[in-house]
Amino acid sequence: MGQFQESKVKALKSFLTELKLHKTGLIGFGILLLYVFIAVLAPIIAPVDPNETGLADSYAYPEWFSTFSEYSNFPRNIYLKINFDDWNVKHLSEGLTLRNDGELIEITAHSTNSPSVKDAIFEYSFDYTYDPPKRFSGRIPYKIAIYNSIGSYVRIKCYIIHPSGREYEVYDSMSIAVNLTRLDTPETYDARDISLKLKLGFSPHDDLGEKIFDTQGTYTLRLVASIFIAKGNGRVEVTFGTKEFRIYGKLYGILGTDNLGSDIFSNLVYGTRVSLLVGVLASVISVSIGLVVGIIAGYKGGVVDQILMYFTDTLLFTPILPLIIAISVFIGKSLYLEIALIALFSWMGFARNTRAYVMSIRDSMYVESARAIGAPDMYIIFRHIMPQLTPIVYINLVMRVPGAILLEATLSFLNLGDPSVPSWGRMLYSARYAGAFFRFMWWWIIPPGLAITFLALAFVLLGHALDEILNPRLRVRR
Amino acid sequence: MSAGGASLLKYMGKRAVDRAAVIISSLTLQFLLLRVLPYYVLGIDPSFFFLNPNLTEVQRELIRKQFGLDESLLSQFIKYVLSLFAGNMGFSFYTRRPVFTELMERLPNTVLLFGTSTVLTIILGLIIGIIVVSKRGTRFDASVIGTSIFISAFPLFYVGLLMLLVFGFHLRWFPIAGTISRPPPRDPVKYVADLLWHMALPLTTLLITSVGGFALFIRNLFLTQLGEDYVLTARAKGLTEREVMIKHVLKNVLAPVINVLALEFPGIISGAVIAETVFSWYGVGRWLFSAATQFDYPVVQAVLFIQVILTVIALYLADLVIALLDPRVRLR
Repeated sequence: MGQFQESKVKALKSFLTELKLHKTGLIGFGILLLYVFIAVLAPIIAPVDPNETGLADSYAYPEWFSTFSEYSNFPRNIYLKINFDDWNVKHLSEGLTLRNDGELIEITAHSTNSPSVKDAIFEYSFDYTYDPPKRFSGRIPYKIAIYNSIGSYVRIKCYIIHPSGREYEVYDSMSIAVNLTRLDTPETYDARDISLKLKLGFSPHDDLGEKIFDTQGTYTLRLVASIFIAKGNGRVEVTFGTKEFRIYGKLYGILGTDNLGSDIFSNLVYGTRVSLLVGVLASVISVSIGLVVGIIAGYKGGVVDQILMYFTDTLLFTPILPLIIAISVFIGKSLYLEIALIALFSWMGFARNTRAYVMSIRDSMYVESARAIGAPDMYIIFRHIMPQLTPIVYINLVMRVPGAILLEATLSFLNLGDPSVPSWGRMLYSARYAGAFFRFMWWWIIPPGLAITFLALAFVLLGHALDEILNPRLRVRR
Repeated sequence: MSAGGASLLKYMGKRAVDRAAVIISSLTLQFLLLRVLPYYVLGIDPSFFFLNPNLTEVQRELIRKQFGLDESLLSQFIKYVLSLFAGNMGFSFYTRRPVFTELMERLPNTVLLFGTSTVLTIILGLIIGIIVVSKRGTRFDASVIGTSIFISAFPLFYVGLLMLLVFGFHLRWFPIAGTISRPPPRDPVKYVADLLWHMALPLTTLLITSVGGFALFIRNLFLTQLGEDYVLTARAKGLTEREVMIKHVLKNVLAPVINVLALEFPGIISGAVIAETVFSWYGVGRWLFSAATQFDYPVVQAVLFIQVILTVIALYLADLVIALLDPRVRLR
């Protein structure tokens, strides 16, 4: 009687364990669905293209840091597009004509009897209310056309004027005496340019942004076109496009920016795709290879079996990571090569399992009787053996994914991944080698690893649940 | 008994031949992948990667000859295998030093780190596994299983990075790189303390990533054994649970445990590549990584060779233990 009750308790307990395991399976499935959702909708979820650089200053903090008083006044991205209507014409020498041609400003000077210098000065003022930024940059598209006037030249300069009145000459085209168009590929100036720092009298180690935008107040951008026009019957035209001026913020996006100024959050979102693709594809390929090898070895037996198992063992004894590293170094870093390599070096365990399983089926009565009535090998394999293998194929398809995901992440972390594809491993690689650790940028380091972990975990949980449901032998045991 | 000894000898002899054959085939595979494949796929041999392009043709040929690269691939392979077994591992393409000398500088560090972690993993895993299996079905059991599964989903390098981030860069309790302080302390006691201090983070990382899985493996192994008749007999004799576990079950699970541990060797080399790269540990793994990225094949092949030898020896020992414990396998 007592024994009966004990077995009842046992059955109840095992039932509860199973239920719990299935619940974890459900959780795994839920996590997986979330990842698939993110992967499919990545272009919608990610605010910007993950490969785009220079979105804000390098190593920018997440935007929500501004809620902490320490960071509240950190510089934000400022992006000014200044066209004709925005410019304030400060000075226009006599004889210059100004024409607003859509987005372009056209300044025309005509020759007179004596050579003269004519200036056009434009100004634009804006309020800067944040802490000093590290970096700014500007783009000035212009076109110079000199008609029939040898000896004329044009010189274009840009200044930034401090609220105190100090002037910084950030761009100087020097004298241009030829026709040229820089409308499509504008001239630029950048606060990181060392020659610019030296020209303005700063040390190469200074950040120009911090030096120039050191107080809050009204700053003025000045654009000067000096036209020297020789005497005669010529004409000089200077055309300006929309001037762009940027101050690179130290606060950006949900997770800030990396060393190149790329959006970390977008990289995180797009990384889902690579991990899922590599995990699933590598698992499918490796299970297929393992299935074929296992069935042939297990069914044929004898010499074929020995040769195949010998080969399997050889691969099993070889550390795959160094081999994959060596091979991908000389063949090249490509995503599909990586998947193929991962799959080619990870089918061995499954082949061995399948072989053992097939052997036990092969020796069973019904297979023997099928053979006795003259069924061909292919018929037996597809009719009697394959259906029995379905559960372990499903389980292995799921269970092999985490290994492939972790291996892909590891390879990317060792900088052997495809450099054109955003991946979590590569994010961690750049975090490690671009100084995220020294800066304690935990928002850059922690999310990619957690993303890898939870994706792997989802497959593990799902696999365990499948194992419970599909594997009758396990069910008896627990 | 003498008949049993003879059958054991015969069986072990047969296994020795099998295992030795795997060494040869593994070397062949490595040679095919690392030397023949680049040669036929890309039409290059390793000298392509390390020769200075400004050298004259004669100088190139001389250097190629020095490394034996002017011979045919087959004769290179045969010479290479023969000299490997004679203990000569050739010369690194980059440092031009004997591979063996360089290996001996790094091997102690790797053996120290991974030997310690493996031994600790086995001990901790056995203890946790046995405790868990004796409390199977309880909440404790479930929580240990859950934690183990959760932790095993973390990539090794990520755990290492988190360790570095928290204990190295933030709290500054442990060094962020290296095997020993520069200059190394002269006092032996301080030297050992310094080494342990450097070893703390990598060792903890390796333990975190491996103990859980091993404990889970032990637990499942014990579970399969607990349904066996001999366990029932032992319990019927009135032995306590602890005696059943240690005296009877442990003996029976020893063979698969040794087998699994032997098969861990390739994984240890892969783990060494990752862990030593993350922690800048002066060992074989980091060396292997840099050699693999530099096409320094003598180094890569030598390290892989040693690893295969160790794996095979370990598996052979496992064969021996299994054959001793279970006479039936000898007759197969």
